[in-house]
Amino acid sequence: MKKIGFYQGCCFQGPDAHMFDTLKKVFSDLGVELKLLEKTTCCGGNTIDEANKYLVYSINARNIAIAEKEGLDLLVSCNTCYMVLAKTKHALDNDPRLRDEINKLLAEEGLEYKGTAKIWHLLPYLLEEVGIEKIKKKVKRPLSGWKIATYYGCHIKYPKEVAVVDSEDPKGLEELISALGGEPIKDYEGKDVCCGYHAYYTNKEVSLKKVVKAPQGAKKAGAEVLVTPCPLCFKAQDIYQDMAQADEQKVPSIYLPEILAYALGYDPKEAGLTYHIIPLSKISVNIPPAG
Amino acid sequence: MATAGKEILKGGFRMSQEKVVLKVYRYNPEVDEKPYYREYEVPTEGVQTLLDALFYIQENLDPTLSFRFFCRAAVCGSCAMKVNGISRLACKTPFKKLVERANGRPITVEPLNFLNTVKDLVVDHDKPFENLKKLQTWCEPKQPIPEKEYRVSPEEVKEYERPTNCILCFACYGSCEAVMDDPKYAGPFAFSRVYKYVLDSRVDEDHKRQMVKNAMEVGDIWSCVQCQKCIYVCPKGIRPAEDIQNVRGKAAEYGFKEYPGVKKVQHFVDWVYATGQINRLALPEEVYGVDPTPLINKFKERGAEVWEVPKPLPGLLEFRDLILEVMKEKKPHLDIDFHHVRRIDKKVEEIFKADVCTKVVEQFEEQREDFFSRFWKKISEFFGAR
Repeated sequence: MKKIGFYQGCCFQGPDAHMFDTLKKVFSDLGVELKLLEKTTCCGGNTIDEANKYLVYSINARNIAIAEKEGLDLLVSCNTCYMVLAKTKHALDNDPRLRDEINKLLAEEGLEYKGTAKIWHLLPYLLEEVGIEKIKKKVKRPLSGWKIATYYGCHIKYPKEVAVVDSEDPKGLEELISALGGEPIKDYEGKDVCCGYHAYYTNKEVSLKKVVKAPQGAKKAGAEVLVTPCPLCFKAQDIYQDMAQADEQKVPSIYLPEILAYALGYDPKEAGLTYHIIPLSKISVNIPPAG
Repeated sequence: MATAGKEILKGGFRMSQEKVVLKVYRYNPEVDEKPYYREYEVPTEGVQTLLDALFYIQENLDPTLSFRFFCRAAVCGSCAMKVNGISRLACKTPFKKLVERANGRPITVEPLNFLNTVKDLVVDHDKPFENLKKLQTWCEPKQPIPEKEYRVSPEEVKEYERPTNCILCFACYGSCEAVMDDPKYAGPFAFSRVYKYVLDSRVDEDHKRQMVKNAMEVGDIWSCVQCQKCIYVCPKGIRPAEDIQNVRGKAAEYGFKEYPGVKKVQHFVDWVYATGQINRLALPEEVYGVDPTPLINKFKERGAEVWEVPKPLPGLLEFRDLILEVMKEKKPHLDIDFHHVRRIDKKVEEIFKADVCTKVVEQFEEQREDFFSRFWKKISEFFGAR
């Protein structure tokens, strides 16, 4: 069994603690042990950068150093956390003075940023380390008849120095959806429009205008659900879309590990699909109620 | 200039050559009822840049095609346009790469987004230029003006070297997610310029404050969604999304605490210091004064277990020390609100039925024990060895 350090970020708190259980089980089924690095903290959410960029570098150097101390790579399950951690790695690997300064601070805790840990985002990890063939073999409940719009989110596409997919033509999600037996819809209006998550607490109006664009385009293209590898895009498309659209216009969104879990045969509750604000029971393929 | 280009292209053009289709946006508002696309076949060899390809069309296929260009060297910023949906300078875009990427499909060339079309690929730049004026992005000299000149250190210049390189091509404006949904939004380039003047020691402090205020009130800087597209498309390597973060930080530093965005940063700084995590359920209340209970209830109705506060991380005190140490070294735009932190501590203690500090102190004790036992071990080893 492979083993990787898991960075939890802020994703699995509040009403979302169950998402980590799903993720852990799915990865275990796919032969990967997620070692939760409990001492890691919030990455700053690309927001503490506004108060103090240096602090962001320090806390994320610490997050990476915690994985390095255990001799593990770091798996990140959120686009924004991934980008912030990867930007820190990029800055520290290219600026020895900054790295030395920060290492002096980390020494207090017995930590050192060496730059040896690779930072993986969920999507490329599934594609490159787990592999499509392995996933295909594990499918117990093929998503036959599911028309699924793929939504990548911004922070694995831009900026270029940290992107894990082709910024102008991202690929991978479609292959995954096909492996699960679903029908991926790649090209639709609004596929590249930001979900608006990060603007909700800075300018709510803009956020609510943005969040409906990808779902509306996906619907026009015949999709019944959206799938995203980012829990924040998912949260925006679940909670904020619910606020911004009339019921008949809403397109439910699914976080990638949840759809994997469902296709791997988990019951909808175990897969986390029953906790959504925009219920999935509306789609043409009905999910039986939990219980 | 045009003749030289023509010669190169003529030389490179052979009838047997492979060709690629350019699907070009055409619109003359004086004549056409609506925009349309026209397809042109351009040889794939002997054409260096997208701009060369447009010259080829103009000189060999359709002299009515309009586009703007001047320096051909990514300095003047005239030839920004949209290529397969991405803002680029035509003069800096290698044609070969476009052809490879197109892989037999047409290459779509359109004017920049969100700007009025003058004709075909030529857009009206008045709006973004007007935005710069509205933000008052210029130097009001700091008083008193020195007799000879202002002295500026090389270190200072380095700080704002990047935003200084902006050529006002508006590639960022044409890719901006905030411009798309907020017509008032001034544009990424405009905020990079604000940041440049904010960093400049020659600029009057009151004017800096005024520019930051304008960035919020006139330019809607809080509409930025932080998608990072502006960083991706900038042909000069400027990082507007990060400059925007810095201007927002300045807003916090200047004490504009009434803005939701400033309250959001305060939430992040305080909660991360207090628990190592933000608290997404406390954000609605702390930023907008909105009770999150109805949303929490929706999740409870669906059977989800809801954590009111995040679990404090093990080793919290050391983490807090790190934050304080960093803040001592690098003065932040925004300080921790310790009254808020104490309220958070109290809440965490109530919920986890444990004193955040005692819990951490206990860990400390354990470590100290460790230290003493190691110490005694060393001592006894030392005496034992004798």
